[in-house]
Amino acid sequence: MEIIIQQLLNAAQLGAVYSLIALGYTMVYGVLRLINFAHGDIFMVGAFIGFMLATTLNMPLVLMMPLTMLLTALVGVAIERVAYRKLRDAQRVSLVITALGVGIFLENFVRIVVGPQTRQLPAQLPDSVLKFGSGLIITEDKIWIILISLALMIILWLFVQKTLMGTAMRAVADNSEVIPLMGINLNRVIAVTFAIGSALAAAGGVFYGQAYSIDPYMGIDLGWKAFIAAVIGGIGSIEGAVLGSFMLAGVEVFTVAYLSSNLKNGIAFGLLILLLLIWPSGIMGKPLLKKV
Amino acid sequence: MRKLGFLLLALVLLTFAVSGCGSSNELKIGVSAPLTGDISALGQSTKNAALLAQEEINAAGGIKIGDKSYPVKFIIEDDENKPESTATVFQKLINQDKVLAIIGSQSSKCSNAGAPIAESAKIPQISPWSTNPNVTKDRSYVFRACFIDPFQGKVVASFAKDKLKAKTAAVLYDVASDYNKGIAEVFRDEFIKAGGQIVAFETYMTKDTDFSAQLTKIKGTNPDMLFLPNYFNEVPLQVQQAQKLGLTAKIVGSDGWDNPELLKMGGPAMEGTYFTNHYSPDSDRPASKDFIAKYQKKYNMMPDAAAALTYDAAYLLFQAIEKAGKVDPAAIRDAIATTKDFSGVTGDITYNGSGDPVKGSVIIKIENGKFVFDSAVNP
Repeated sequence: MEIIIQQLLNAAQLGAVYSLIALGYTMVYGVLRLINFAHGDIFMVGAFIGFMLATTLNMPLVLMMPLTMLLTALVGVAIERVAYRKLRDAQRVSLVITALGVGIFLENFVRIVVGPQTRQLPAQLPDSVLKFGSGLIITEDKIWIILISLALMIILWLFVQKTLMGTAMRAVADNSEVIPLMGINLNRVIAVTFAIGSALAAAGGVFYGQAYSIDPYMGIDLGWKAFIAAVIGGIGSIEGAVLGSFMLAGVEVFTVAYLSSNLKNGIAFGLLILLLLIWPSGIMGKPLLKKV
Repeated sequence: MRKLGFLLLALVLLTFAVSGCGSSNELKIGVSAPLTGDISALGQSTKNAALLAQEEINAAGGIKIGDKSYPVKFIIEDDENKPESTATVFQKLINQDKVLAIIGSQSSKCSNAGAPIAESAKIPQISPWSTNPNVTKDRSYVFRACFIDPFQGKVVASFAKDKLKAKTAAVLYDVASDYNKGIAEVFRDEFIKAGGQIVAFETYMTKDTDFSAQLTKIKGTNPDMLFLPNYFNEVPLQVQQAQKLGLTAKIVGSDGWDNPELLKMGGPAMEGTYFTNHYSPDSDRPASKDFIAKYQKKYNMMPDAAAALTYDAAYLLFQAIEKAGKVDPAAIRDAIATTKDFSGVTGDITYNGSGDPVKGSVIIKIENGKFVFDSAVNP
């Protein structure tokens, strides 16, 4: 029993990090119909900004985390402004290739500036050990990572549902062509979307660096995982991205726990194919309606 | 705009065409090292050791062949610790740079990717640090400067049984890497042969950073010891996560642990763990002491075993070239294969017909943030 609870918490922590990345994929897809392949690397940049702030400036987490999110949001907005905006009306494939290029640029930029070694963020979350019953041991940082991530997701949901900007984002997602006719500044909506997506990825990066480790290439694999989670959930859907992330993490952890660690990726991705056969647009995605 | 683009393209092509030229009477030796990528810290120490050896030999006038001395030039290329990049590096070194011999690569999966290329081009290759047996198997031009995993696995198994009194053991290893997989399997077989029981044999994939699911499962089997035959960039995370999950087993590792990064990343979590190694930094062997002092003076840090082995491989090669008496890869290969009692930093090296030297190993304990000699095992 203790082992099951422990595995559930392992899955929840991993799922929380996947969610924070997957949200950026899904939001950008929502407003731009672009799969932003640089997003995994924005997550990595966020982790390294957090690392720099925590190590060189000795900043405590309460300061470091918001500042990291802010700075990474600026990076995201800058990327959109410099690399994507001009191509918005070009063929979709040009935009996707540009995104891949931006990702490779970010990886190499960070590798040259900070070096290629694997690093860890200094442990800044409280990490006292909590013991329950006969063998359940939980470190406090795990709980904090899960709770803060959930809080960020709730704030995002409220923002999208209740504010004017959130409504504008949903409207752009619905139909971006008529939006300028309604007096909404499309560029601004897109910039805000990139800012929020990047800020959440940065939060994920900081947590990831606390729980695991960071290196300049970490965004590749994790980016793919989070992207896949967003697709399972239904790309474009915020709730779907979160659901898909926790599902993917759950399947990964429990495959290791009860089947075999050798089969982890095989089963996780096999399941993805199966799910997509049942729900081609993802679990919570809207089926694509072609206009005649 | 378009014209400018074409002009730029032409310029780039021209640069490539020109940069291939240049020649002299230097002896060119290729080095394939993971300068970037996941074990880049080890690539740096490889480069450091190679440059130290190059500087020394050239200060001494170079290598004497007949009545003429030739300076040595190492051409150090980055293989990113990826097999496919290593193959490219080997091809480049052999076909483009026309090297006499190659030192490298470090991880077994990379050396294994380079070896068929060196073998078919008949260019001698010495891998300093690749311990997987397949690297030199059925190859006459491929050598290594270190012991092999079947020996290392045996050493760990008997250490676990006799010294740690472990009856049950769990293993967590990278299934996508030749080195980790090879030694994990040898250890499993040897530990069972010695009367022990393997209660968990868990895997992960290179670049994974979350091992908590596997470690939670291992914790459920309550083993006496946990064997982590993995590289230094991943081990600290595994040890930290194991401790956070409340795993109390004794933790033992293999020679992939030896790099200062292990202590930097792992910190206090690494205290009281053990690993097998090629040599001990606090050894009183004169050649070791001498090397450590020179390396520390030049680079202001402790060398890892990969650096020591690279240095040994370099001098092994220098000696062989001098012995061969001519600038000819086949003659150099024969000279390496007949090396007897070469006194290296990491021990005496003798080749008995195969590319694998007969060498002993040491067990290191991590104590007060330092690698401390625990015991020595000879074959």
